Amino acid sequence: MSSTKAAVTPAKTPTPSPKGSGPRMAQQDERSFGIIAERLALPVVFVAIIVVFSVLRPEQFASWSNVSNILGSQAVLFVLALAALMPSITGDFDLSLGGVMGLTAVVVGNLNTQSGMNIWLAALIGVAVALLAGIVNGFFVVTCDTNPLITTLGMGTVLTGLIYYVAGSKTIVGIDPELTRWTFTAKLFDVPFEFWYGVILMMVIWWVTSYHPLGLRALFVGQSRDVARLSGIRVSRIRFGGYVLGGFIAGIAGLLFLGTTGSADPTASGPYLLPAYAAVFLGATSIKPGRFNALGTGLAVYFLATGTTGLQILGAQNYVQQLFYGAALVLAVVLSRQIRRNR
Amino acid sequence: MRFGLFHALDDVDFTVHPGEIVALLGENGCGKSTLVKVLAGVNVPEPGGTLRLSGEEISLPLAPGQFRELGLSFVHQDLGLARTLTVVENLMIADADASSDRRMISWRKETARVRTVLQGYGVDVDPLLPINELPPVGQALVAIVRAAEDLRRYRESGRVRQSILFLDEPTVFLPESEVEFLFELVRTIVRDGASVVFISHDLDAVRRLCDRAVVLHDGVLAGEARLDEVTDEQLIEMIVGKATGLVGATYRREDGASSADLPVVAEVHGLSGGRVEEADLVLHGGEIVGVAGLLGSGAEELPYLCFGAHRSTAGTMTVDGRTLKLPRLTAGEAVQSRIALVPADRRRDGIAASLSVGENATILVNDKYTRMGGVQFKKLRRRMGELLEKYDVRPRSSSALLGRLSGGNQQKVVLAKWMEIEPHLLLLHEPTQGVDVAARASIYRHVRAATDDGMATLWVSSDFEELAAVCDRVLVMADGRLRTELSGDEVTEDRISTAVYQYSTNAASVLAEVPGA
Repeated sequence: MSSTKAAVTPAKTPTPSPKGSGPRMAQQDERSFGIIAERLALPVVFVAIIVVFSVLRPEQFASWSNVSNILGSQAVLFVLALAALMPSITGDFDLSLGGVMGLTAVVVGNLNTQSGMNIWLAALIGVAVALLAGIVNGFFVVTCDTNPLITTLGMGTVLTGLIYYVAGSKTIVGIDPELTRWTFTAKLFDVPFEFWYGVILMMVIWWVTSYHPLGLRALFVGQSRDVARLSGIRVSRIRFGGYVLGGFIAGIAGLLFLGTTGSADPTASGPYLLPAYAAVFLGATSIKPGRFNALGTGLAVYFLATGTTGLQILGAQNYVQQLFYGAALVLAVVLSRQIRRNR
Repeated sequence: MRFGLFHALDDVDFTVHPGEIVALLGENGCGKSTLVKVLAGVNVPEPGGTLRLSGEEISLPLAPGQFRELGLSFVHQDLGLARTLTVVENLMIADADASSDRRMISWRKETARVRTVLQGYGVDVDPLLPINELPPVGQALVAIVRAAEDLRRYRESGRVRQSILFLDEPTVFLPESEVEFLFELVRTIVRDGASVVFISHDLDAVRRLCDRAVVLHDGVLAGEARLDEVTDEQLIEMIVGKATGLVGATYRREDGASSADLPVVAEVHGLSGGRVEEADLVLHGGEIVGVAGLLGSGAEELPYLCFGAHRSTAGTMTVDGRTLKLPRLTAGEAVQSRIALVPADRRRDGIAASLSVGENATILVNDKYTRMGGVQFKKLRRRMGELLEKYDVRPRSSSALLGRLSGGNQQKVVLAKWMEIEPHLLLLHEPTQGVDVAARASIYRHVRAATDDGMATLWVSSDFEELAAVCDRVLVMADGRLRTELSGDEVTEDRISTAVYQYSTNAASVLAEVPGA
């Protein structure tokens, strides 16, 4: 009894007949309901906590001044999270972005106060330094083909050292108030300008990643690097671009940081990185589940900020912020892993 | 031994005597690898399969590692060594006694022990070197020693009735001059009391090493012979089988006219890289050209070299009048020159599983659907609708994640994606691997239709039946070189198989005759 060739190799045996597509379509519908639920989970929980806090503390929480305060005070984190989003989209990691932000702040502060340089010229140089840091990261990780986690962790430590060197281990004070005016004091709809800068940046990133061919190519690089390479996409160039843009945006975050506080504390930028990544990962579980996306990231930043502010208004201690951000990061990573597995 | 596994293997029954080296021969897909995988416990056979070893019924599937208790041991083609660890560490891993031993490891003693073991087998490698610093033959020797040691331990424990070492194509990636070291080791192992089953395509190697050959064809035993009583021609006939007549439909060019009348679309000159040496190709528009070769012949590297996905060392390619220097070709330039590549490893290289069908299918052309920089998704969706219909992708949903589709539908999407650039040259590597019968037919049809419209197609496959069904011409590659060309009536499964085996054997013996090679 000779069996046919098709039966010899299990891989070539026919799959269940097209009749199977009936129930499969039904499954697809369920899926799409599931996808909508996933998409809206974070916004719904966000609204829920707003309602809960508003009911519990109507006077303090549900006031416009509180809203304006949350939106304005978290703008630095908002922009830094968008910086962290850049390498994430292309499937990379940059743990030095907190350092890039801090370095920009102290460089601008130092130039402005010690050398008496015009604040806008100093800001330009500061952003150039951030851009350079992004290029160095891109060179070490992409061109030299190293593990991004380890390399940027090392780079972050180098940058922290540079921050202390430039700042002379002291907080730099006496920054030109013009910078503060254009970031924190001036308001539109009673919300500081810096929040709106973040919104503009978020919308630009959203548009490019969703509607421009470059964004779609970056998406391929992030999700299936080998496929992207064999589709003629310049993978290295796009990854490099992710690092450079990440550095650039972290530099802008540095300027906002300097303007918000009016001073440059060399130790202050460190704790920003983890919440930024928490927002990026949490953002990837909503709006476009399974993908790093700008709207989700923005939403997650303010979800986290609202949660911690609300808890603090309820009387929680400061450490609740650490608990909340840390737990959110772990939860977000578990959730996005789950989303991937379900597909 | 007696194996009766349904489908892939049907009542395969053969004997291995103690101290014997038996060759297991057969074409790709004949069931050799299934046999090995079932015995190694990698493959779970369909229910109903039975296995008898030395008369004793063994229940299937085997648990991982159970093969050791049965007195079997395997060296797979990838050798299964930890490449960055040293020889000593690799030889310790297999030693079950060592891992259950709670005492501290004495590295000095271990090294000395391994050195003695290696000497006992006549293998001269430094036990302290990491595997990846050994030459290929050294790596193979270490893998074989490890397997042989496994067998020896089980023999000495007295728990097994047989001890058989399976070598799965261990010589493919070795230089001809060094294969003899490996054979010498195998003979040593046999002298120590084990038997060896040597799986190979290389008849020359088989003749030098083995006593007897067992041939599988389509999952059944096609023949058995002592090697000193059989000619190469008889062996090849057993491997290839009697002419099976017309199998299925043909997708070849109808008119049968010589390809010389067709316009030349792509020309490759002096391509070298990887195992390929100085390959010249002339590909005509309207013609599907197959490349057949055994694993390691270089055939499987041709599409990637021509696409710039693997670096070549020399050669030029002219596509549609543009000459490209192959060593500097990048995948991006290839796409711009309208060269398409459907790779064999679909999961890794072909599809972005986490992205949608639409995103995958239009990634190469979405910049043509833009207005003021933004992609016009409405237009793109309309185009996707047409593509899904044309290639019969199920379900007809461009937003479904590509990873969730069946293998056949995934491959249709990959083909559709590449057809969108209207390629001058289409490079295919095992395009129907893991693809169901209906989808295969659809892929054949679409490639033929696009080729009829003037595209040139290079089709590399280890499925000779497929090559015979679709190709107008078939080139045979052996040992890195294009050896011969079959065209017209010569393009049959049997002729391709015969040529491949004949040239592969000749190539090996030609090399062996070169002094110092």
